[in-house]
Amino acid sequence: MTRNRGSSDAGPGVVIRARNVVKEYPYAGDAVHALRGVSVEILAAEWVAIMGPSGCGKSTLLNVLAGIDAPTSGEVELRDQPLAGMTEGERARLRLVSVGFVFQRFHLLAVLTALENIELPMAEAGVPRAERRRRSLELLDYVGLSNRAGHRPPQLSGGEQQRVAIARAVANRPAILFADEPTGELDQKTGEGIMDLFARLNGDGATLVTVTHDPRVAEHAGRTIRMADGEIVNGNNGNHEW
Amino acid sequence: MMATLWLLALLALARAQEPALPGMLVERRLADAIPLAVGDTVRVRALAGSAQPRPFVVAGVFEREADPNRIARNDYEVRLHLPDLEALLPTHDRVDRFAIVLAPGARADPAARWIESVAFGTRAYGSAALAEETSATFRVVSRFHDAIGIVTILASAIFLLCVMIIRVDERKRDMGTLRLIGVSRRTVFRAVVLEAIGIAALGSATGALLGVLIAQGVNAYYAAVYDTTLKFALLSPRILLLAGLLGLTLGIAAGALAALRVVRVPTERLF
Repeated sequence: MTRNRGSSDAGPGVVIRARNVVKEYPYAGDAVHALRGVSVEILAAEWVAIMGPSGCGKSTLLNVLAGIDAPTSGEVELRDQPLAGMTEGERARLRLVSVGFVFQRFHLLAVLTALENIELPMAEAGVPRAERRRRSLELLDYVGLSNRAGHRPPQLSGGEQQRVAIARAVANRPAILFADEPTGELDQKTGEGIMDLFARLNGDGATLVTVTHDPRVAEHAGRTIRMADGEIVNGNNGNHEW
Repeated sequence: MMATLWLLALLALARAQEPALPGMLVERRLADAIPLAVGDTVRVRALAGSAQPRPFVVAGVFEREADPNRIARNDYEVRLHLPDLEALLPTHDRVDRFAIVLAPGARADPAARWIESVAFGTRAYGSAALAEETSATFRVVSRFHDAIGIVTILASAIFLLCVMIIRVDERKRDMGTLRLIGVSRRTVFRAVVLEAIGIAALGSATGALLGVLIAQGVNAYYAAVYDTTLKFALLSPRILLLAGLLGLTLGIAAGALAALRVVRVPTERLF
């Protein structure tokens, strides 16, 4: 399977760059500091795991890096594009074609079949019907579910749903794949299968950013960023754990 | 000229044919009830007074025009020639009402004023004024129906809006997923509105079908009760078209409101 690598850039350049990112949420007349001046750089084809206790800000960091949430202050660049000046429509387009998401609870559309779920982002991106059908079948084969194309999510196991979600996430061949607790709802064996799939994607050139509680997931990553209380405590570019 | 008489009493029925008897027309319901057929002889007298019954031969059977003013009165109607009618009544040269048919193009109001001027004590009305006067009750009923219609439309609109909001809220996570994977707000908005239009169209079609069936049932029931061709419930193509357009408009409005609720929310708050 062929994939885009980083920016137009063939080399292992920086694909995600965050500088002094602060994220505050107003709460009861005060502010909750979810991120306190986080800076991080992630290279193309790198697999980074973000770990830390609940409430430390790792999911917030993932959302900010992926352009889902805007930081209160600081700068975020995805493939050299600063997110700050982008409109919601531009950020949606970026999420559609440059970024893929895998969620803990899969978030597949129950009314669509596995094949249709995978086709959905391609349809939005304007991929012709025949091409997206061909590519969806190819992706289902890639994740080992070619015999499940016509099944709807409730008819699939958790592991199978997550595989479909991964196929959907990479449908538009994004350069970066974000995963928030991708094995959180799965048993250990199924989770291992998902990690193997991520490893294959990473081996094919995808940049992976994974938020996890599970040290076994982090073991697969090339680098682990540890967070506590809205700050990176180790694993950023100044203190790599390669 | 034919005059109309509310039948006061039917005294006797004789099958024997008598030559040169005056003819009369009998309402179909009365002909069914007795029964009577063309050529039968009947004896008729007025309830008021003590005049002897007079024989008439049934010259024809007619269907009374459906008239909501008279639907609740279950009396029968026969039509006699004016001299025959006059002969039946205890006082000659006295009638309650005349109906005068004007020549084509003649104006009713000046004619009515002229009649009033030459026949002292007579009140003449044009048919429009008469209809206006006699249909006051129906105007009230019609306004009542309008009020019911408006309340129904308002309730339907609120119901449709609630259905759409509930449907969107139930699938807020799906909407969030769509937004998260990069589906634009416009696409999400359009999808919700299209779904609302689909629901409204389905609802309108179901409502129209139910309306047609219920109207047929209502009309059949009252036709049996009152033996009338009067339509108590009427669903014209114009009404159906209006209902369909209204349903679609409400669907678009409800869908747009529900969609706005969801597309305005930041993506991360949809989970």
